[in-house]
Amino acid sequence: MKDKTFGVLQRVGRSFMLPIAILPVAGLLLGIGSSFTNETTIATYHLQRLLGEGTLLHAFLVIMNKVGSAVFDNLPLIFAVGVAIGMAKREKEVAALSAAIAYLVMNTAINAMLVLNNNILENGSLAADMLKGTIVSSCGILTLQTGVFGGIIVGLGVAALHNRFYRIVLPNALSFFGGTRFVPIISTLVYMLIGILLYFVWPLVQKGIYALGGLVTGSGYIGTLIFGLIKRALIPFGLHHVFYMPFWQTALGGTMEAGGQLIQGGQNIFFAQLANSADIAHFSADATRYFSGEFIFMIFGLPGAALAMYQCAKPEKKKAAKGLLLSASLTCILTGITEPLEFSFLFVAPALFAVQVILAGTAYMIAHMLNIAVGLTFSGGLLDLFLFGVLQGNTKTSWLLIIPAGIIYFLLYYFIFRFLIRKFDFKTPGREDDDSEVRLYTKADVRARRESDGNGQAENTEDLDPVSAVITRGLGGKCNISDVDCCATRLRCSVYDEKLVNDALLKSTGASGVIHKGKGVQIVYGPQVAVIKSELERYLETAPEELYTADHPVSGKNGTVVQSILISSPITGMAGDLTMVPDEAFATGMMGDGAAVLPTDDMVVAPEDGMISFVFDTKHAVGFETDLGISLLIHMGIDTVKLEGAGFEVLVRNGQKIKKGEPLLKLDLEYLNKHASSLVSPVICTELSANQKIRLLKEGKIEAGEALFAVDFYKERTKQHEKI
Amino acid sequence: MKKFEYIIRDQLGIHARPAGLIARRAGRYRSRITLRIGGRPADAGKIMSIMMLGARCGQTLEVEIEGEDEDAAYEGMKALLEEIL
Repeated sequence: MKDKTFGVLQRVGRSFMLPIAILPVAGLLLGIGSSFTNETTIATYHLQRLLGEGTLLHAFLVIMNKVGSAVFDNLPLIFAVGVAIGMAKREKEVAALSAAIAYLVMNTAINAMLVLNNNILENGSLAADMLKGTIVSSCGILTLQTGVFGGIIVGLGVAALHNRFYRIVLPNALSFFGGTRFVPIISTLVYMLIGILLYFVWPLVQKGIYALGGLVTGSGYIGTLIFGLIKRALIPFGLHHVFYMPFWQTALGGTMEAGGQLIQGGQNIFFAQLANSADIAHFSADATRYFSGEFIFMIFGLPGAALAMYQCAKPEKKKAAKGLLLSASLTCILTGITEPLEFSFLFVAPALFAVQVILAGTAYMIAHMLNIAVGLTFSGGLLDLFLFGVLQGNTKTSWLLIIPAGIIYFLLYYFIFRFLIRKFDFKTPGREDDDSEVRLYTKADVRARRESDGNGQAENTEDLDPVSAVITRGLGGKCNISDVDCCATRLRCSVYDEKLVNDALLKSTGASGVIHKGKGVQIVYGPQVAVIKSELERYLETAPEELYTADHPVSGKNGTVVQSILISSPITGMAGDLTMVPDEAFATGMMGDGAAVLPTDDMVVAPEDGMISFVFDTKHAVGFETDLGISLLIHMGIDTVKLEGAGFEVLVRNGQKIKKGEPLLKLDLEYLNKHASSLVSPVICTELSANQKIRLLKEGKIEAGEALFAVDFYKERTKQHEKI
Repeated sequence: MKKFEYIIRDQLGIHARPAGLIARRAGRYRSRITLRIGGRPADAGKIMSIMMLGARCGQTLEVEIEGEDEDAAYEGMKALLEEIL
């Protein structure tokens, strides 16, 4: 249970990252736009002719400013959609659309309630008894100020509805509205009710949050310290976004009047003050205490820790450690993204992480005490310091104090880290024992570590859908399916080889008909097809890479095919079986079975993922082993061994791992056509066992990477007898 | 176990076709046949393995045969190499 709760919280935290990722850019636009359209700034630096009102640049900066504001003004909607995407398990686009709809519906319902109860008068003005700041215009709808909370309520709720209903099967008459189509419908209904409910509940919550915000704001420097400690300690769990966001974005982080409006949330207050900076003597450090301290330890402190780790690295590993620590430090200094650095010592030395939490926590408090009020959009890097500190001037932000405080923190981090690393011999980067490679840990490592420690949450244990398995089989196996889609009543699939489609099998899945159009197969199910498509796509994600040929009359002597592996053409040209090779050794199959291609293009590429076994000295032949264990000889042209390498350019080396489609050889077609006795190029499986047979899939024109032949694995009868 | 050495005379060395012929001939015998060039071994029953030797004209090919029909294999392999290489 505890694990499950943690898993959900973890996902919530992660789902915040998508909407959060827009903030630096929006902040950049807003920061630059507002700084250089600020009349005082322009006057101070005598830039009237360049930036004054009426200039082209001014107009452009005004646009930047407004575009940046648009993102911040519509954060609730952005969070609603972003969180829904992050939390939806599959068919995320449907969840996104539903969240947008639900957000509009919820606010419209609230608006209707406000109008019905005369909280908003007919002329659009607010009733006299309404508290200031409790009603805002969101997406053009006058509604209760629910802020990012409102967006998150929508995102989480819609995602929950989506995950519950996106595969719902409705009675036949209504089945057009089943599956994913049901999600926006149910979301609309549910959020209409939630909107009505919020009208009654939210004013109470607003009062509560205001009070709590007042309490936290009232707790002074100690409150700031506690906030800092908790936020930093949550980083490894990815849960910090859940924790700090309310302080940044909602009344929990305090409320303040700016520009005649009541603004809630530390970050919002700062930006509102920034927008009206002409009237403000010094930005409020009570508002910025949730982030101003970050500049101190992100630009100065953590790089000090990195320097200590570098100096403590073993001499022979210093170079490698330097590369890692330097890039991680630069990321931290410039953008304020600390994870690359923090994760480099978090696992090997949790004690160092405890030190980091304490030092960073106090930095928030120190910044608060020093009345430093530098805002940020995302994290405390140089970029934000420049935009919201330096550009706004020391008189309003006290940003200069960050430098002495930062230098002290740099030294503290440096000496404490150096002392502890040496004293306890922590295996920080460059100090590990010789078998482990120098590297920084990534978030993926954190997750992997955590899952192996606890009883890892198994998300993929949902049993596989039997109907989808039969459909897949009927379409000739996963390897034969190139595309799956659906219209109102039909499942529309494209296959590679239409001969492998088994109509009878498809009909047995409840289809009323199967229609063939070349490589297109339409299976008529009726309106419930949307659900079938979702299920099939889900099944295909994990289905085995197979090809079924049971429909073909191969069950005679050879027995039944249990598995097929596809081999694609290494070159564009004309394909055929081996009898087209004008060389007896190849044409008779003495070298092994396979197929041949007459190249029309000059680039030979890897037919599948695999490894280069060898490139022959004379460059005309390549030995290749696919990742699935098939040995291939790709022999370019006939008697080309006599050319002793002329006409070929080798682009790979022996033993190299290679992905399908990556180049192997380049041919000089003009030269080869003149000098080779033939350019027909056999692609041969040299090591087939008795139960493996080749089946040609393509004759005539073929593209490099298109399936050329299949290796069919037949059931081995003798072995089965032995088992019995 | 029986062994013999053969100096490759074919200008082109062991390329695809001779490798195929050797592998097919080796497949007729139950004996285990190993080819060596400069100590590097190759399974004479596998085309890929033989080609990976990259044997060139003038190099000495060592042939090692072990198994119940090694006498027949010895004669057969020797005759084949004389004929094609």
